[in-house]
Amino acid sequence: MHHVSVTTTVVSASAPIDAGELAHACGADIGWIVQLVEFGIVQAPATAAPPEQWRFHSTDLQRALDARRLERDFGMDLDSAALVLDLRAELRRLRDLLRAHGLHDGR
Amino acid sequence: MDFKDYYATLGVERAATEDDVRKAYRRLARKYHPDVSKEADAEARMRDLNEAYDVLRDKEKRAAYDSLADRVARGGDPQGDFQPPPGWDQGFEFHRGPGAGPADHADFSDFFSSVFGAGQRRGATRHNARVRGEDHHAAIEITLEDALGGTEREISLQSVEPDAEGRFARRTRTLQVKIPPGVHPGQYIRLAGQGMPGSGGAAAGDLYLEVRIAPHPRYRIEGRDLYMNLPVTPTEAALGARVQVPTPSGGVVEVSVPAKARGGMKLRLKDRGFPGKPPGHLYLLLEIALPPADSDAAQAAYRQLAQAVPFNPRSHLGV
Repeated sequence: MHHVSVTTTVVSASAPIDAGELAHACGADIGWIVQLVEFGIVQAPATAAPPEQWRFHSTDLQRALDARRLERDFGMDLDSAALVLDLRAELRRLRDLLRAHGLHDGR
Repeated sequence: MDFKDYYATLGVERAATEDDVRKAYRRLARKYHPDVSKEADAEARMRDLNEAYDVLRDKEKRAAYDSLADRVARGGDPQGDFQPPPGWDQGFEFHRGPGAGPADHADFSDFFSSVFGAGQRRGATRHNARVRGEDHHAAIEITLEDALGGTEREISLQSVEPDAEGRFARRTRTLQVKIPPGVHPGQYIRLAGQGMPGSGGAAAGDLYLEVRIAPHPRYRIEGRDLYMNLPVTPTEAALGARVQVPTPSGGVVEVSVPAKARGGMKLRLKDRGFPGKPPGHLYLLLEIALPPADSDAAQAAYRQLAQAVPFNPRSHLGV
């Protein structure tokens, strides 16, 4: 067992990841990230800019990873995955809101 | 370590076809998906399902697993102290193709990494091409206080790496991870170079840790905002008051409760939620707490109030 100290960064506006890094994290290629942007699963700050200049935050990473898993595990198209992710985000938002107001059933 | 019966996890027979395995996984994944499941252990079940499916849907891994299961069956019940026989997987290499998706293995069991780690590592290093190592993904749960104030956590990672003689052995690495102040749930902490090693001299992949925040007895999280119930007496609510409120960062602030406040009313402490652009707020939900009527004096006071202020809280019900 040995102890290592490592550099940590929080994926955020001040330390975003680029399209290549997002693709690599998802086990995919940049072409797939371009599709994610087209389907609105992740937000490219300016779609007019070439993919090399796109920058992504944690929310994008989470949505991209989940889209990849839905594609792989359920054979979903990206447009259905986009819908599932939007519905799930809304479900989680409402559930958090209920919980915040002390009204949640504990799930 | 327990021997994991992946067929039992998915509820399929050993003879199950790829299609059977896929159907079983999808059915169970819907049942145990943490977003929809009512089962208490949904998250752990989902992790087991993902691990079993990762192995059984892959021809190479499934063949290797079957041969190991046969050896275990011949050797009798491993009684919970299973160790894969040395060199059992010599003939196997596990490849992850371009469609394999994110490598979620960092979240999988010790059994998985001890059984499939070496073969996967061999599969990855066999390329002579310079290929960057895969990124790994795992989750880390911290307290709200640590998320707001920052902390340092020790995490252990299992990996399989070649020794000086080129033999693959399991290794546990312990990392000191600095979590900077102000991380919110769903953010990712990136640990450079802590994923799979690269091949042909290319860089290692990264490890991404998804931040989760443990439920807090006092504060609830909604996006960047925090919510807390603030009990006030009927007198404080009716007449207004200044009350002391603890903040998540550890301090205490004085808050004005306005006169004629009602239960459920929301008071906002600006920018006292998660930091960010824009920062979140801390919301206080007023909760009217009745003074106990457990003494003659208290009961007399209640009666006096009822006489002084005739009040029918059910008038809107028409009674």
